Amino acid sequence: MRKTLMKTVNYFLLAAVAVMVLIPFFWMLGTALKSEAEALHIPPMLLPKIYHFDNFAKAVRAEPLIRYFLNTLIVSIFVVLISTAISVLSAYAFARLTFRGRDFLFAVVLIAVMLPQEIMIITNFMTIAKLKWLNTFRALILPYCVNAFNIFLLRQTMKQIPEDLYIAARIDGLGNFRYLWKVVLPVAKPTILTTMLLSMIWIWDTYAWPNLVTTQDNLRLISNGLKNAFTTSTGSIQYELQMAAATLVTIPLILIFIALRKYIFSGITRGGIKG
Amino acid sequence: MAAMKRDRNPLSDDRKAYFYLLPAFVLLVIFTVYPVINTIITSVKLDYRFLTGVYNGFSFGHYLDILRDKTFQRACLNTAFIAFICVPASLITALVTALLLNSIKALRNFLTTLYYLPQVTNIIAAGMVFALLFHTNSGFINLVLGWFGMDPVPWISGVGIAGSADLYTRSYIRCLFILFIYSLWQGLSLKVILFLSGLQNINPQYRQAAEIDGTSQWNIFRKITFPLLSPVTMYVLITSVITALKSYASVVALFGDSYGPIGDNSKMMITIVGYIIDSLGDYLSPGAISKASAAAFILLLIIVILTALQFYFSKKWVHYK
Repeated sequence: MRKTLMKTVNYFLLAAVAVMVLIPFFWMLGTALKSEAEALHIPPMLLPKIYHFDNFAKAVRAEPLIRYFLNTLIVSIFVVLISTAISVLSAYAFARLTFRGRDFLFAVVLIAVMLPQEIMIITNFMTIAKLKWLNTFRALILPYCVNAFNIFLLRQTMKQIPEDLYIAARIDGLGNFRYLWKVVLPVAKPTILTTMLLSMIWIWDTYAWPNLVTTQDNLRLISNGLKNAFTTSTGSIQYELQMAAATLVTIPLILIFIALRKYIFSGITRGGIKG
Repeated sequence: MAAMKRDRNPLSDDRKAYFYLLPAFVLLVIFTVYPVINTIITSVKLDYRFLTGVYNGFSFGHYLDILRDKTFQRACLNTAFIAFICVPASLITALVTALLLNSIKALRNFLTTLYYLPQVTNIIAAGMVFALLFHTNSGFINLVLGWFGMDPVPWISGVGIAGSADLYTRSYIRCLFILFIYSLWQGLSLKVILFLSGLQNINPQYRQAAEIDGTSQWNIFRKITFPLLSPVTMYVLITSVITALKSYASVVALFGDSYGPIGDNSKMMITIVGYIIDSLGDYLSPGAISKASAAAFILLLIIVILTALQFYFSKKWVHYK
């Protein structure tokens, strides 16, 4: 009897937390489907009378959202590909090869994991400005291409592959690169996927850096584009369109997350906090 | 023979390793190592103009300048509010939620996924939604207050605050409240997952043994679960505080580029990173970049101290693992 009661209270509390988590999503979607008059209605309406699905099309037509999406996609593809290649190579060196200065160089990587990106932003801005790379894709891509945390995570995974396998492969005449390609990569695949997903989420959310190095609309990433969209010159905001755009920005990542949940969770429980 | 081969192999690997590391380290040096060193140097260059590279010697003046700057003090206060008020609150909420989740079986995966949604929501989109939730006329919060017969609250409002300290304080407290609710919502996700995975790593036999002995649930938590979870708690606390110290985009999304309600000209809700970025945005005026660097170095120092603390504590608690 007491147990059933406790269980009920338990579920009730968890449901309450779930409602709290969902309220912003509910209000975002609800507002996105309202007409302009309904969005401005006082007092606010809980739900629209008619669902205005055309708000999504309107939002896309009113602002270059597609351009922002494409830009974000281009930057994330480049960043994910380049940074994965770079991370895999260096993680392999740290995990398997013996060389002078290994401990020192790995310590540099560990320190880089802890250093906040926000400290780097000042000098990186100066570097990019001096190279005359402001308003280029290079400025958006290159600084993200090395990710110390990914190197660390991949090195930990690769270290777990038994050394005997490596020695056997070497005795059989397999070179380092082919060993990495044929043996290490297939084993480390889940972790590689995790690092790719974490990098992608990182780019999708990144705001401060792109805002500094791009001033042109045709180079804006989704976060920056969204931030400046749907505000009229008088400062009033078209909330139903803004929320429609916010919904469009939110959905892709939520879908990816639901599909590949276990890789993301495995990354964060192993210390993959990206602030 | 085999042993000799083993010894020789690493030697022949030696030089190849540097090729594997080269791309990563070229980028690390340019975009991570050099920036940290350069930021420290820039912070003490006087009247530095980075486009020409001209400066008038070295001075610690910028540190004194920003420490005396009202906006920087405000930034420190707001950042401290997020790190030391909002983070502990969301940590406790997350711990309770994880304990509840850990004691159920049905729906656990579903709820964990649901609780994680704020973390994969675009930070700007989330901030905008919260700004709308607290909108005076179109917000959900005032709608609910209305159901209980309450008048709409002007949550984000700067009417008359420039002339009245009292109105300013009230407006500020309301904005802090919004930031608090937002942080609670946003911070829950990651912490719940980390606590839950920590709880699942605790051997259930401890709890079973205690239950057979008739120990109360509260004592099981106090004497078994909480101590065994303490390394995770410390890890979550320190990493969350560090993340909170770097808050920026969420504040901009919530309160706009001027960090406050319309009518406020004090950058009411600015954070330390906001201060750095604003100074950086002013890069054409001499000294602005140095001011940004000084602020960045102060932030770096705080983060380094916290990271050192984390190492210290994780060593102390290592025997629990």
